[in-house]
Amino acid sequence: MNSTLPSGPAVRIEGLDKYYGSFHALRTINLSVERGERIVICGPSGSGKSTLIRCVNRLEQHDGGRITVLGTELNDDVGNIDGIRREVGMVFQHFNLFPHMTVLENCMIAPMIVRKRPRAEAETTARRFLEKVRIPEQAMKFPGQLSGGQQQRVAIARALCMQPQIMLFDEPTSALDPEMIAEVLDVMVTLASEGMTMICVTHEMGFARRVADRVIFMDGGEIVEEAPPEAFFTSSRNERTRQFLSQVLGH
Amino acid sequence: MEMVVVAPPAPGRLEDLKRRFFATPLQALLSLISLAIMAFIVWKLLNWAVFSAVFTVSGGPEACQAAAGACWSVIAARWRIILFGLYPFEEQWRSALACVAVVVMTVLSCMPAFWTGRRIALVWGTGTGLYYVLMKGGVLGLPYVGEEAWGGLALTLFIFVTTCLIGFPLAICLALLRRSDLPWISRTTGLIIDGVRSLPLISILFTFAVVLPFALPQWLQGDKLYRVILGSALFFSAYQAEIVRGGMQGVPAGQEEAAMALGMSYWQRIGRIVLPQAMRNALPATINQFVISFKETSLVVIVGFFEILASGNAAYGTGEWRFAYVEVYAFIAFIYFVFVFSLSRYGAYLERRMAVGER
Amino acid sequence: MVSLLRNQKVRNALLQVLYVGSLAAMILACVMIARRNLAEQGITSGFDFLYKSTGWDVNFSLLPATANDPYWWFFLIGIVNTLFLGGTGLILATIVGTIVGLARTSANELARLLGRTYVDIFRNIPLILQVFFWYALITHLPTPRAAHEAFGMLLTSRGLYVPIPNVGGIAFAAAILAVIAAIALPLWLGRTSRLSQPFGERLGIQLASAATALATAAVILALGRLPDVPMLDFPALQGLNLQGGLRIPPEFSALAIAIAIYGGSYIAEIVRGGFKAVGKGQMEAAQSVGLSPWRVFTLVRLPLALRAMLPILANQYVWLMKATTMGIAVGFTDFFMIVALTINHSGQTLEAIGILMGGFLAINLSLAAVFNRINKAIALKGNQLRG
Repeated sequence: MNSTLPSGPAVRIEGLDKYYGSFHALRTINLSVERGERIVICGPSGSGKSTLIRCVNRLEQHDGGRITVLGTELNDDVGNIDGIRREVGMVFQHFNLFPHMTVLENCMIAPMIVRKRPRAEAETTARRFLEKVRIPEQAMKFPGQLSGGQQQRVAIARALCMQPQIMLFDEPTSALDPEMIAEVLDVMVTLASEGMTMICVTHEMGFARRVADRVIFMDGGEIVEEAPPEAFFTSSRNERTRQFLSQVLGH
Repeated sequence: MEMVVVAPPAPGRLEDLKRRFFATPLQALLSLISLAIMAFIVWKLLNWAVFSAVFTVSGGPEACQAAAGACWSVIAARWRIILFGLYPFEEQWRSALACVAVVVMTVLSCMPAFWTGRRIALVWGTGTGLYYVLMKGGVLGLPYVGEEAWGGLALTLFIFVTTCLIGFPLAICLALLRRSDLPWISRTTGLIIDGVRSLPLISILFTFAVVLPFALPQWLQGDKLYRVILGSALFFSAYQAEIVRGGMQGVPAGQEEAAMALGMSYWQRIGRIVLPQAMRNALPATINQFVISFKETSLVVIVGFFEILASGNAAYGTGEWRFAYVEVYAFIAFIYFVFVFSLSRYGAYLERRMAVGER
Repeated sequence: MVSLLRNQKVRNALLQVLYVGSLAAMILACVMIARRNLAEQGITSGFDFLYKSTGWDVNFSLLPATANDPYWWFFLIGIVNTLFLGGTGLILATIVGTIVGLARTSANELARLLGRTYVDIFRNIPLILQVFFWYALITHLPTPRAAHEAFGMLLTSRGLYVPIPNVGGIAFAAAILAVIAAIALPLWLGRTSRLSQPFGERLGIQLASAATALATAAVILALGRLPDVPMLDFPALQGLNLQGGLRIPPEFSALAIAIAIYGGSYIAEIVRGGFKAVGKGQMEAAQSVGLSPWRVFTLVRLPLALRAMLPILANQYVWLMKATTMGIAVGFTDFFMIVALTINHSGQTLEAIGILMGGFLAINLSLAAVFNRINKAIALKGNQLRG
């Protein structure tokens, strides 16, 4: 894994196919994400958007096409998979914090055992990122003692502690109460302003309008439309997109 | 249906009694019947075990046999055989100390402070090592005593502890193999686990003790004691593996995914994320399995080991104490009861505590 | 080569082949060594020995047995003995367990205490210790000369002697079947007719069917009666030994009592758990529509509790079946003891172990199949309640 790759896109997906049994979940997807680019993927449930980003760090195995992440192809080579996962952080809908470890330990474990950083260094990094997501005072608590919004911010800090080059967000606010959504989005906006490469599956259209470089609309396992936010929200000509937007923005 | 009713303010003693036991005619009848049964059993038992019993050795077996009650003299005369078997008489303090080591080890591993993989391994490693050195000797100026002379309670404890020590890691391996994504590995392991579970323990002990020597090359046969322990561990692990697997199924899939997304390897995911949570889920069932397998160590008597049951049989079976079998069995039953009851109470306590913690 | 090992698919295939292969190789090696060792002792492998006569005898058998019978017949005897002991133990344990379990869930505090004490004591003492205890107790009973007598039964150190009707074997078996029908018929009728018929009418049908079955049994016994002997054959002392009646050997009684008491303590807990699983709301609903306490119990509590108990009970029954192997500790010729004796006498180790495994697999699978069917039949339809 060469992390100081000169140029080329952060993620390149060519002709990607994915099946669940006989169900065709992703149909010949083509997508390229540049370094520092912020992509928002939206679409109705079951449209394949989560599956798509889960293919990028191989939580799902694709059946056809090519995925190249940071210049390395994602194939059956075990070394490539491990390398890519180290450089790609992920935030889940249900946080998936480790309940048997404190917040601090959640943030330290991966740098220590995957990146083999010494404990002291891992702790400094962890505290810095907890500061950044604005909950340094919760470091010694267990995830079960935190609110949903706080847990999701810890999850973001945990992913950042690996100092990834790309961040994947899989509906990070869908499981949160409305009043907690803002605190998580704030952290994501800050992250975006610092130039992180981000691929976000989300229905937060305000967030998309504010930070996205491109908005991608998926339906039925296909990319239906792909446009800069301004054009996407105002002048979409696709019937399915307009219908979806009216449902999401309508009320 | 539970009868927990909040008591009205300060009822009289008598009224309270009446409400609790004689609320309706049917209740009253039930209470009286229960009371009669209890009174009868308690009186008979006390009379036999205490009031009419003989406690001293001085009168000898004859005086004892003539008594109407229990003859505890047999225990006074033969307790060393029951507890230590044929272990050399002057060295029996070592056997006693070894039992204490095992008990201390068990108590320690019931404390949450020791519930990390490393600490529990350390406690059990030290405890078993201490037991082995004390029993076998040959070092530190302790005279050598071979396994064939071990017996009684000490041997029972040894078989139990080594069964767990080998069986537990084996159970985790089996559970992981059965949960594998690779179909042939999980299927084959499933076949092994289900196969062992469908057989009675005695048949496995018998196979390992008697049949295996035919089927193994000379250099692999080892001592009969260790072969039987291996068989018992295999049986334990087949049951424990299913408990561990159940615990793993209780860990949400998102946990492993999060660990994968952080780049952890298979062993890191299992060791740091899945197993610690799975073991916590499986704790009550695990303790229950320990209780069962402690009771089942008694089965080795069938393949000819001089553990506590066999030594009990020997204690009354020879010569003048032939009539005192009830007392000997009661004594052994009491020893088992103390171990098993406290362990299962502890398990029930943990289960309650965990149920509260989940809320 | 190195890059090939890093390939996930290659790795997976290799792992599977290695795992299954090494296991198969180990088993194969063991079998080969065993065959060679046995051949050196002049034992030819194969199942031909099944047709040779054993040359030894069994102490308990429901089927006729002599030392001239072939091995396959002895294996059959063993299985029948195991099933008989297991069946007896299972029925007794269920009766004990139901009584104690009901006591444990009773509204009466003293009854609960009594039940709890029972469970705490007998659950925490190993079964084999209890078997030894009862065996010692029975074999220490007086000799036949000084036997305890009760209701025509004789308690002696040689076993329990009970009166037996003087009838032919076939008639006896048919009568037993009829008695079983007398118990099973009303239950079955109660199930199939459900609540569609009025309660009184159902009870009538049930009683009538039970009476018919019992009458059939009596007629069969009367017809099958052996000529010129009294209807009941009482055991009696003749010389130094007892004649007549049916002798239940100490080995069998000790095992059956121990299994009933120990198994009963486990079943009591299952019964209690089953009743606890019935929601309070269900019972309150039944009371609120004006059912009497008895009918709340029989129509609501019991059926729901039974459904909750059954899967666990099935496991417990399988366990009890396996517990019959403790017969070898006191010399009861169950299936396992026959296998052990076969290995001792004939040396056909591998074959005997194979038969042992096959036998228990068959017993377990058929028990599981029976319980699955019962479970399916009584499972609540849909998913509105715990099933």
